[in-house]
Amino acid sequence: MKNVDLTLHVRGLSQFVDDIPVHGDCLHAVLFTSPVARGKIRSLDTGRAAAAPGVVAVFTHRDVPGLNQVGHIFKDQPLFAVESLEYIGQPIALVVAQTRRAAQRAARLITVDLEKLDAVFDPREAAARGMIHGQKRVLTSGDTTAAFDRCAHVVQGKLSSGPQEHFYFETQRALALPGEHDTIKVCASAQAPGAFHRHLAEVLGIPQHKVELDIRRLGGGFGGKESTAVWIVAPALAAFLLKRPVKLVLGRNEDIATTGKRHAYQYDYKIGLDAGGNILAYEVDLYQHAGACADISPAVLGRSFLHASGSYRIPNIRVTAVSCRTNIPPNNAFRGFGVPQGTFAIESALTHAAESMGVDAATLKQRNLLQDGDSLPYGARPEKVNALRCWAALDEQVDLAKRHREVADYNQAHGDTKRGLAVLPVCFGISFAQTALNQASALVHIYVDGSVAVSTGAVEMGQGVNTKIQIVAARTLGVGVDRVRVDTTNTSRIPNASPTSASTGADLNGMATKFACEELRSRLTKFAAAHLGCEHPDRVELRDEAVTIEGRRTDLGWQKLVAAAQWARIDLSSHAFYATPALDLDPSTERGRPFAYYSYGTSLTTVLLDVTRGTYTIEAIDVVHDVGQTLSEAIDRGQVEGAVIQGMGWATIEQSRYAPDGRVLTAVLLHALRAVRKDRPLPSLPLTPEQVFMYLHGP
Amino acid sequence: MPSLIINDQDVRTEAPPGEVLLDLIREERRLTGTKEACREGECGACTVLVGTPGPTGVTYRACASCLLPIGDVEGCHVVTVEGLGVESLTVVQRLIVEHSASQCGFCTPGIVLSLTGFCLASETLCHEDALDALDGNICRCTGYAPIRAAARGLSEDLRGRVAGKPKRVEALVEAGVLPRYFLDIPGRLRSLATRPAAGRPGKDEVLVAGGTDLFVQKPEELREAPLAFLSRRRDLDYVTTHADSVRVGGAVTIEEFRTSPEVLRHFPTMKSDLVLHSSAILRNKATLTGNIVNASPVGDATIILLALGARLVIEGVDGAVRETPLSGFFTGYKKMALSCGELVREIVIPFLGSALFNFEKVSNRVTLDIAAVNTALRLQTAPDGAIADLRVSAGGVAPVPLLIGGLERYHGRKADEATGAAVAQVVAEAVTPIDDIRGSAVYKRLLLGQLVKAHFAVITDGRALR
Repeated sequence: MKNVDLTLHVRGLSQFVDDIPVHGDCLHAVLFTSPVARGKIRSLDTGRAAAAPGVVAVFTHRDVPGLNQVGHIFKDQPLFAVESLEYIGQPIALVVAQTRRAAQRAARLITVDLEKLDAVFDPREAAARGMIHGQKRVLTSGDTTAAFDRCAHVVQGKLSSGPQEHFYFETQRALALPGEHDTIKVCASAQAPGAFHRHLAEVLGIPQHKVELDIRRLGGGFGGKESTAVWIVAPALAAFLLKRPVKLVLGRNEDIATTGKRHAYQYDYKIGLDAGGNILAYEVDLYQHAGACADISPAVLGRSFLHASGSYRIPNIRVTAVSCRTNIPPNNAFRGFGVPQGTFAIESALTHAAESMGVDAATLKQRNLLQDGDSLPYGARPEKVNALRCWAALDEQVDLAKRHREVADYNQAHGDTKRGLAVLPVCFGISFAQTALNQASALVHIYVDGSVAVSTGAVEMGQGVNTKIQIVAARTLGVGVDRVRVDTTNTSRIPNASPTSASTGADLNGMATKFACEELRSRLTKFAAAHLGCEHPDRVELRDEAVTIEGRRTDLGWQKLVAAAQWARIDLSSHAFYATPALDLDPSTERGRPFAYYSYGTSLTTVLLDVTRGTYTIEAIDVVHDVGQTLSEAIDRGQVEGAVIQGMGWATIEQSRYAPDGRVLTAVLLHALRAVRKDRPLPSLPLTPEQVFMYLHGP
Repeated sequence: MPSLIINDQDVRTEAPPGEVLLDLIREERRLTGTKEACREGECGACTVLVGTPGPTGVTYRACASCLLPIGDVEGCHVVTVEGLGVESLTVVQRLIVEHSASQCGFCTPGIVLSLTGFCLASETLCHEDALDALDGNICRCTGYAPIRAAARGLSEDLRGRVAGKPKRVEALVEAGVLPRYFLDIPGRLRSLATRPAAGRPGKDEVLVAGGTDLFVQKPEELREAPLAFLSRRRDLDYVTTHADSVRVGGAVTIEEFRTSPEVLRHFPTMKSDLVLHSSAILRNKATLTGNIVNASPVGDATIILLALGARLVIEGVDGAVRETPLSGFFTGYKKMALSCGELVREIVIPFLGSALFNFEKVSNRVTLDIAAVNTALRLQTAPDGAIADLRVSAGGVAPVPLLIGGLERYHGRKADEATGAAVAQVVAEAVTPIDDIRGSAVYKRLLLGQLVKAHFAVITDGRALR
């Protein structure tokens, strides 16, 4: 089954936040933000802006009725700056006007008298000065010092990986609608209903039951809408104070310039292998370029840290990790949540080792792949390890040895172009590393006409989670998928929901939905048994929209059954809860079982280099990915294909850069330099490899 | 008060002619299927079709509505996603669904419009044209594989059914690509308040060519400004062949130029060379003259025309006409020999004849990106294979687009690898690149030398390096 939203998308009928019709006179809010990377506000003059045409109000930290705070992990991020400025783009004031254009014009009239202070932009320098978020984390397993002495080959080096702009198509935005009794409804493009719900209540100074956060769908998230609440809370504050609908929609350049990105990292690594090519020891220090506030960075770093060994068996390992506080906009989650960075270091180290040993990197990687019985550095022993199976499946599809030979032959024969290839395995732990987040609930209603409504905490952002939940509900209840509608994600129906993140959306919310539907099914089969005079309720089932007894279809169809059950006063509504069992991670020892299971994959990338021009073409990417028993092959294939190209973008053309003053350079250039407006390279169709072969791997 | 047809509705608006079409569509008309995602023509989410009435019927092209002033589409038919699939899904929409070529859905309406634009504009309906038509639509979710597959399916479906039929709109209605109301549009446009035939721009008016750069730079100022549109100069919308040259009117778009049979007869590589210029939704509006008077030191079209020895015909305020070689046109960074009120009315491009031509461009992203360095070469050999004439242009390496001088010394030399290396060295020494976001001065100088070597490799091998 395909994503149910497809037919809406192609007709332009899918509603995103800015498409929601608003009754009455909706106001528009625009942020005025810090022009300096570090400084102190001496005085702020909003008078001219407040008097500008069309302006209704200008708000600052003084107007916040509750807590002037949106910090996600630590309370270190004020909604509006009070005195200290920590990055360019930090919100200082909010201009609310009758039109977006009027608000934008007025925001340019705000002046701030400030003292500029020295800023830090280098993560290593920040770490050296002790400017870090949270604590330095250290994970040790075995004895690396002793093991290095036994190694035949030891290589070490420094690495860095760059940031990446999310470029979700729908920029950060929210629409806030005030209600009676000081309540408020907020429609937002947000991945974390529970957390943002709490931020809203805290800032407005009202209990959470007065706040309703509603999320229909996102025009892309990729992690960028998981933790930073500024753009949702700010319009809500204005609507709450003005008692009028207020919308805030970031322009693209504003979004690029002021929102978080994938973290750049720096790394020091040292790897040692025995004469046979077995990894004996690995040390890596991770410096995460987090930015001015912690945001969700420590959690991202935690995942890099736990995945430092990649797909490999490493008996002696020492990993250290620090989240470095610098004066750039706080970075946040981005697809992979730190795992790509952790993996990058070990893959680079192994490739370095292979080059130094004069052996093929792929051979070295294959030799060290995780297997059943191996332990991960934090003590967990993964079961049913599919690393080798994925590798073998890829080999079967592409014949790695033949590909290697072909490349060698090609390079022998060609001077002006050369080919290269790389094989890369991945092992990704599934679950939030923060154990508490591994919970979800579902609310399922069956109406007397037989239609079914499901609410969960999962947020639809194109990844198809709603379609998967719809499938789960329909299968469990024995009805057609068209009977089931997955409702918006809404905090009044589903409270305290975890973010849709960490590849857990369908797992957690799907299980909760299954439980809720099982409960309903049990009530209905029990009722049906009595209704049909069957003495063995356990032989009664719901199948293909009808009641069956011992597999035989009865005359009692779904619609009749539901109507009769309701008339007989059977509860047709159910709420269920799911918490992933047996998870733990002890932060004091860095030992435990943080992940329920691991997802494996292997890719082969083939590249053509043009030696004359110094350019390259990615000719083909072959991927085998273990998706288990898929609920929708079309959806899973799309997820893997999309991720491959996003990762390719990160590793190749996508470059977010910062000016020496800490400004996100892309946006500056877009505004200031006429000729370089195209300097926002993202993968576009002509650039992406013509051949992406995807082999989904079942159990 | 601009009047136009949006989908099947006649629309009159009070909005100023300088307001961009996207705002009219979303805010005034509440047609929210068209998305705003960058307002710079860079992403394709706001793509619409613009149908312009002309002597041969209504010509439809996909354009970025965020850079398109309403005044420029007066008297036109604008199609948004709501204007397709009125009763049931169109073929394009159905194929996107079938291939799951949409995830979050925000870019999808633009992709539907670009592919529909391909169906209307591509003569052969081949797969390559479909991909070219999509090159301005970024999708952040799918990784493009299913979009590519949908485009292939579309091309395969329509080639037999539609290509070659005389009346494209009628054939596409029949094929289920366009809804039936399209058939009435030509008549309805005729009865619409007529499209004013503009003469020369008034004294205070800003002349807008394609607007694809201007409306990125200063949309706010232009919104309220009095504007004159080059697209109204029907007298400048021509490509003609003369005894020794192709002559291109000042209103011709990059896409018209790139796909013109007249142009391709004499400059066969132009179609592929100018794909690198910009995306389809911009090429459909951006003009060749606009690219020249933008005076960017690295403009692709300028660099190509410099090597080809193009001349400009310039019309003065009083209607007087003068001619100047393009090579003498640029006088300094963003400065040119064009006085206030003057207009480039024609570009004269001498035939390539038996000369060889090659264009090279390297940028961070392979296509659609501003070049770090670009260069073109025109080389005429004598019957004995010796160089008779050699012109090399280079962009991104000086304040102005450069035609490299002093290459006469290679006349009489053989056009081979050794000469290429020597020319490369001379060219690299003749330029003055600077460090900027697209690369260091050292890199650009090195790259230019390599690209000149690539010119010689291509023309001597008779094959394009990948």
